[in-house]
Amino acid sequence: MRRALRENSLGLVFGLLFLIVLVAQGFAGHADFNQQQIAAGLEPVGLGRYLTSASFAADVAENWQSEYLQFFLYILLTVWLVQKGSPESKKPGEEGRESDREQKVGPYATGDSPAWAHAGGLRRALLSNSLGLVMGLLFAGSWLAQSIAGAAAFNERQLRDLQEPVTWAEYLIEPDFWSRTLQNWQSELLAVASMVILSIYLRQRGSPESKPVGAPHDATGVEG
Amino acid sequence: MRWAVILLTTLLAGCASLGERSSAAEETARSFLQAVADGDGAAACGALAPETEAEIDAPCEQSILSEALTAPSPVADSRVYGQSALVTFADDAVFLAVFRDGWRVVAAGCTSRGERPYDCRIQGG
Repeated sequence: MRRALRENSLGLVFGLLFLIVLVAQGFAGHADFNQQQIAAGLEPVGLGRYLTSASFAADVAENWQSEYLQFFLYILLTVWLVQKGSPESKKPGEEGRESDREQKVGPYATGDSPAWAHAGGLRRALLSNSLGLVMGLLFAGSWLAQSIAGAAAFNERQLRDLQEPVTWAEYLIEPDFWSRTLQNWQSELLAVASMVILSIYLRQRGSPESKPVGAPHDATGVEG
Repeated sequence: MRWAVILLTTLLAGCASLGERSSAAEETARSFLQAVADGDGAAACGALAPETEAEIDAPCEQSILSEALTAPSPVADSRVYGQSALVTFADDAVFLAVFRDGWRVVAAGCTSRGERPYDCRIQGG
């Protein structure tokens, strides 16, 4: 049991932190929503009603979609793009999908390779792209959820301000939708660019996200 | 399969709930306008949100009858989002919000002004 906890501590701790922060967001968002209700002369709502509201769903989904977009882009672009000196990058010259031998698929699959690495056709293609595919689908699903919940939350605010509500299609060209979307995208892209570039010159001893402390600045694809 | 049934049931329950909420908002808007048309100021004021009632000259029961609101015609459209609703009649629109005892009228006698807020004969501060 203790061994299982230790061997999965990274995933468990992040999962737990996610739940704690999501609950905290629920409480903070509830208080913020009720401040707006009271300011408009309306009745505050209970926590349960808020947690099932479009407002909460839109706030959650808009952050999720940008996180999944970040990983989706990062996973795909690092196949073909490199950054000299970054531990996050392959070495210059290694760009591309690499050979079957390097990727250990088909006849080069080993005894402990996943079953679909031995297979051919669609199964191998799916396994070979499953990480990017799932991240892409999670991004698309979260963004769709943001647009649907965002339209309902936007319309609730519109009605509160005695203004005309919009349809879902109209919401897709509303500044509110793109402002919420783009403010999340820019922060994610900045975070990735910062990680790629800062990790050339800075170190974090013991972290696999960093090069070893003594590794030269121009060493690429070396993780500590 | 079991999850699909639960998901479908939840979605249908959500749709039914939205339909019920929409009907309840329409009924409150209609009752309010009918009360004004019938000269029942007490019933009309009882349907108003507190801030909206506070904006009407006292006594509300008499003042509300002089607001030139039209009698309810068939509902042309109703939109419910969260705690707010807009019920549109042929020649009038009524904004409502959820309070502890159900829907209440926030603004009435409203006409659309495009992207600007509706122009309403009665509304809260």
